[in-house]
Amino acid sequence: MKKNLKICFLTAMTAFLLSGCSGQQAPSESPSDGQSYTIGIGQFAAHGSLDNCREGFLLGLAQEGLVEGENLTVLYENAQADGGIASQIITNFASQKVDLICGIATPMAQTAYGVGKKQNIPVIYTAVTDPVAAELAGSDGVPVGEITGTSDKLPVIQQLQMIRTLLPDAKTIGILFTTSEVNSLSTIEEYKASASEYGFEIVDMGISTTADVPLAADALLEKVDCITNLTDNTVVASLPVILDKAAKKNIPVFGSEIEQVKIGCLAAMGLDYVDLGKQTGKMAAAVLKGEKKASEMNFQIIEEAAFYGNTKVAKDLGITIPEELISSAKELFTED
Amino acid sequence: MTLILGILEEGLIYAVMALGVYITYKILDFPDLSVDSTFPLGAAFTASAILAGVSPVLTLFLSFLAGAVAGCVTGLIHVKLKVRDLLSGIIVMTGLYSLNLRIADGRANLPIFTKETIFENQFLASRLSSSLSPYTIVVILLIITLLCKVLLDLYLNTRSGYLLRAVGDNEALVTSLAKDKGMVKIVGLAIANGFAALAGSIYCQHKGFFEISVGTGTIVIGLASVIIGIQLLTPENGASFLSHFTKKEIRPTTAVIIGSILYKACISFAISMGMEANDLKLITSILFLIILVVSTERRKKVKLHA
Repeated sequence: MKKNLKICFLTAMTAFLLSGCSGQQAPSESPSDGQSYTIGIGQFAAHGSLDNCREGFLLGLAQEGLVEGENLTVLYENAQADGGIASQIITNFASQKVDLICGIATPMAQTAYGVGKKQNIPVIYTAVTDPVAAELAGSDGVPVGEITGTSDKLPVIQQLQMIRTLLPDAKTIGILFTTSEVNSLSTIEEYKASASEYGFEIVDMGISTTADVPLAADALLEKVDCITNLTDNTVVASLPVILDKAAKKNIPVFGSEIEQVKIGCLAAMGLDYVDLGKQTGKMAAAVLKGEKKASEMNFQIIEEAAFYGNTKVAKDLGITIPEELISSAKELFTED
Repeated sequence: MTLILGILEEGLIYAVMALGVYITYKILDFPDLSVDSTFPLGAAFTASAILAGVSPVLTLFLSFLAGAVAGCVTGLIHVKLKVRDLLSGIIVMTGLYSLNLRIADGRANLPIFTKETIFENQFLASRLSSSLSPYTIVVILLIITLLCKVLLDLYLNTRSGYLLRAVGDNEALVTSLAKDKGMVKIVGLAIANGFAALAGSIYCQHKGFFEISVGTGTIVIGLASVIIGIQLLTPENGASFLSHFTKKEIRPTTAVIIGSILYKACISFAISMGMEANDLKLITSILFLIILVVSTERRKKVKLHA
């Protein structure tokens, strides 16, 4: 019995290993003669905006004639915010000889670049707020290697303008952020740099985990006239808590993208992540077709921001959204 | 081939950390959770040291020292302040999270893509032809990991090493030898966390950036490597699987390294089978359970036969 068990186990382990090795050959058999391509999409976490990016990315590729299932094989993996898994996912893509890796969110883009440059696989990223700080591009926007993509930098100026229009008397804006998210830090810097131009003062408050949100929100709400959100993952995940506390004190909360307005933020000048993904998909298509190398394209930012508003929340707060904003809105939510 | 190289690279990096977990979990019988933060400590320290111009090889040693200091703290909290083992690990783990962010200049993500590392430098570029380049990383990792293993083996055979092993097996014996068992534990924890930080340093240089989330689940990988390696390959509890094929005994340290590679192979296999990252933890825990159950069954039988 003992012996059988052991042999069973050893066989299972060997099978594990062997099948792991044979798995790599399958996709590389598909012809890469310029007609069909295999790409790997590695997404760092499951998250509404990032999912929209991926959806847009595939749409963008399709617009350029690369359609999933026809002439494009897409391998998709999600790392669930685990750095170790992220690197294994990318290694796995590399072993399957993909023609291009798409890294969604900063850590995934960096991992993809680290592996990609050794294997000569071009990398396209999206949803990287600050590619320069992430050392994926030089300060002039030129890629550091065969890697380029799109940045989801928030339209800070437009957001400040919009807040000023909606709240003519407000003096302070509160921002809650996670100290471990680099993107939040660089966005706050930008807010602080431009706030005074619009007569605002920024009060920021850092948290380290979801559990800190309720206390930090209480403390912040004591000091500010309104709150604006970044795309900070931890804070966004706890947004309902913040909205609830703010509503009790009649303090407006602004969002940074459509999903946040949908669940109860007053308004946002936000990015459309599907559009961002589409733009990224077009860049990927150019690289795949050999029209341009990744290193020849600077990373791109979506310049225009769209207005999203929630009229139900506005009514509860007793705020009237001016007609020109209403008419320019990309989407308006009228109920919770 | 890329896949196998990838598995070897990942496996060898984490093997260094697993050697540390082997000391705490298997030798000292101390469930030390502080590795979850000493691994990123090594990575954070390495990223900022390399950015400050410290040589990549030197950062390996310095990271080991930084980890060892953190391990001492865990030990001191446990031994001197009489906090329970699990809790002292948790305290250090929690505290180091903030400290790691401080070390990395307040940033959760610190890239060193443009700097020289032990894997990418002018020395290597000038000595080796590019045809060898896919293998250089594995060779460098193999050298470092084996060096760690040999040093640990040598240490375990010194007087201090024997005491370390004795503390895990029989604390009373150590006391009867007029030695301070607390001190021995602190030394063990220092070495273990030194290895974890060293692994973090190698990881950071390999990936080209530090990220605060790299430490999550380090202890799980370490335990998995130790359990898989030890239970499958060493003759500790009666005959091992390997004894079907060879009469030669395998040292536990070697077994841990192989265990780490096997674990990474399993994960890689699971990913290439299209399994989602969501499910990987469950699979790991089931793998854990199976190996533990199988090995306890074996131990029982050995006792019955005795």
